[in-house]
Amino acid sequence: MNNNKPKIGIYELTGCAGDALLILDCENELLDIFQAADIQSFLMAKSDNIDGDLDVALVEGSVTTEREIEELKDIRNRAKIVVAIGLCATVGGLQARFTDPKEWKENLKKVYGDVEMTHTKAVRSKPIDAYINVDFYLPGCPISKDQFLNFFTRLVGGSPPEKYPHPVCVSCKYNENDCLLNRGLPCLGPLTADGCGSVCINHNLPCVGCWGPVEGANLTSEFYLLKDKGFDAEYIKKIIANYSGTKITTFFDQLKKEKP
Amino acid sequence: MKRISVDHLARVEGNGGISATIDGNTITEVKFTINEGPRLIERLTVGRTPEEDVSMSPRICAICSISHKNAVIRAMENALSVKVPPKVTLLRELMHMGEMIESHSLHVYYLALPDYVGFPNAIAMASKYKLEVEIALEMKNFGNHIMKVIGGRYIHGENPVIGGFGKFPTQEELAWIKSRAIQFMPFVFKTVNLFCELDYPDCPEDETVYACCDPGDDKYGYWGDEILLSTGEKFYRDDYKGLTNEFVVSHSYAKHSRYKGKPYSVGALARVNVIGERLKKESGKIYKKYFNNRWKRNPLFHNAAQALEILYSFERIPELVDEILQYKEDPPIVKYNKKEGIGTGLVEAPRGLLIHHHEIKEGLVHHVDIITPTAQNAEDIERYCYIAAQKFLDEGKEDQIRDRMDLVVRAFDPCISCSAHMAEVKRAPSEDWKNKMNELMKGGSPIFIGVGNPDQSDDGAGVQLALELRKHKNIDVLLESDIEEDENLWKNDTVRPLIFLDTVDFKEKPGKVALLPLNYVLNNATLSHRFLPIVSGLMTYRQLKNAYMLGIQPESIDNGHEISTPVRKAMNDVLTKLLN
Repeated sequence: MNNNKPKIGIYELTGCAGDALLILDCENELLDIFQAADIQSFLMAKSDNIDGDLDVALVEGSVTTEREIEELKDIRNRAKIVVAIGLCATVGGLQARFTDPKEWKENLKKVYGDVEMTHTKAVRSKPIDAYINVDFYLPGCPISKDQFLNFFTRLVGGSPPEKYPHPVCVSCKYNENDCLLNRGLPCLGPLTADGCGSVCINHNLPCVGCWGPVEGANLTSEFYLLKDKGFDAEYIKKIIANYSGTKITTFFDQLKKEKP
Repeated sequence: MKRISVDHLARVEGNGGISATIDGNTITEVKFTINEGPRLIERLTVGRTPEEDVSMSPRICAICSISHKNAVIRAMENALSVKVPPKVTLLRELMHMGEMIESHSLHVYYLALPDYVGFPNAIAMASKYKLEVEIALEMKNFGNHIMKVIGGRYIHGENPVIGGFGKFPTQEELAWIKSRAIQFMPFVFKTVNLFCELDYPDCPEDETVYACCDPGDDKYGYWGDEILLSTGEKFYRDDYKGLTNEFVVSHSYAKHSRYKGKPYSVGALARVNVIGERLKKESGKIYKKYFNNRWKRNPLFHNAAQALEILYSFERIPELVDEILQYKEDPPIVKYNKKEGIGTGLVEAPRGLLIHHHEIKEGLVHHVDIITPTAQNAEDIERYCYIAAQKFLDEGKEDQIRDRMDLVVRAFDPCISCSAHMAEVKRAPSEDWKNKMNELMKGGSPIFIGVGNPDQSDDGAGVQLALELRKHKNIDVLLESDIEEDENLWKNDTVRPLIFLDTVDFKEKPGKVALLPLNYVLNNATLSHRFLPIVSGLMTYRQLKNAYMLGIQPESIDNGHEISTPVRKAMNDVLTKLLN
């Protein structure tokens, strides 16, 4: 084993496993990925996993049980760099939408009834930075192959990964799409972090926001624009909330403050 | 006190696991656990529009995201009476083929094959099987490519919507898919021969009920409006609950399912068992060549069945592309006005029957019920692991139990995150039944049922224990004879645990006591008893799940009325425990 290779661990908390699967979906690059780095742990791909010190831990999924809190803290202790990959790890995922604890408890009961779980206690879904410090974020539902490979190559080469500080609209313009907002469709592109290459709009469908909110997005402007287009305020709030996880609270605070 | 813990690989906890507990010569517990926390997806979409639901609910699982997409769309179109043009249906089917190829090739080559050729993972296996590993990756990539071209992305593509597609693939893209599928055929034949000829061990083998969608028209396929069972029974899509009977178990956030109180299996092996005879062309020939009675009883043949489906899917692709290309026009998304409706969508995900049930009121999602294949397989996974574990224990091969359970769980292809090594075998401390009894008592005071024949010496122990317990007014006790007279005696009680008291031949020292699920007694020919199968047939699945056997190893069951000293000592021990 070449010890100069960075030691990397890929971990999955609660989610759809889509980000880990996407890494396996890098078929043409997969053997290279395994050669460029010393993959110490990747439960989906291999069985001889080791839990030791790491240069980089990639964590997907949100935290939804007490056991996962412990596991996550252990990963943080072992890793020099922790990266949140995917929507669930970065914002808490779809499942983080019940921000009200009472509502969450009621829903838990509606799905699982009164059976008391013996194996591990559930907690409200949160992104991993609710419990540990996170060095880098790679959003997406799931992450995109190009974005991941770019990120991974820089990380393995020892350079800090590039950020994507712009919304979906930037890719959308490069792709020469018609603006769907102009056609009266509820597109969330202006609010959403880029990385997908505006895939929905390329298919004539409005952006659903599955990369999560982009830093510095102008929520107020989008909200009133959609209202002007005739959408109901509650509906607008709901579609924005769908893929924004726990980050949505700051989003809506902004809306309140900037009310014209 | 003896406590042996067979050490397991570092990452056993992972996101799922299976564990077996051994008490003496008996397996007293097998648990298939999903450690992932709850996501409450079925509640998240309530109050959302049908379109938002179609975008959100497939996020349950990346590995079956296309199956979820097709299932939720079918449910919504049933609920909202949307009829789509043939081009749309054909493209959806083609997209589904992509997922089957991607998922099956990943499973058979990357997750399953390393076990059979002795490598820890596929990357290591590449040192010896470089060509197979590389072409299998190409094949998986091809499946992904199909999903991307039609769905918009590898995973969670948003292009399929209620009423059609946002954008249709071009003729060139479709023609490329067809020609590429034909190019793969030599490797596909290699794959199907490889996996059909693998030397699958004969343990565990046992009968089960298989369930899958009936595509209708005597065709093989991956969706339909009816569920067909290997018993010949059928359920219309909206009556799916007649099959699934979901219930919550305390050791997992995945619900379990049973059919008529019995576990059943879904997946590629279920499809091949139920509708495999309908396979035509090359896949039909392969089916005739390899299918035999072992496929009906041995879950390890899931791997062979998946390989057969890879062939079926590859054969279907050129047909589908030709049919799609007949329709030159791209139909617009079908609009609908309906604001109310209830719809169920049945789809075969790579790992089995997937059911989406969505109810719409005032234009918004009102109620959602989603039943995943792994939830349905959970009970059979536990059962087959139990059978394998008990058999190995009987044969003195305790050290092989863990690896075999791994093999069984992985064969079911539960989902990738659960497919890495994850089995655990542990020795129970002596007198473990006392701890288990404490656990059981937490779920309400039990009803005891004395079973056995007092004319056969030690076999009278169960009835005698029951009679002793009956002297105490606060304990509910029944006898075998009571139930023979009135079988409804305990039927109304659906919550309290049922504990049968009997002598059981565990092949242990006389007087050994063990508390084990009643199922295990029923599954194990050497332990079973003529009365128990009759009683268990009367139970609901909930009751059966909550029924146990407190068994004592007899010294003798010859004719006579004397109970042996060790059994008498064990009875006193049990009485002391139960009366305290």
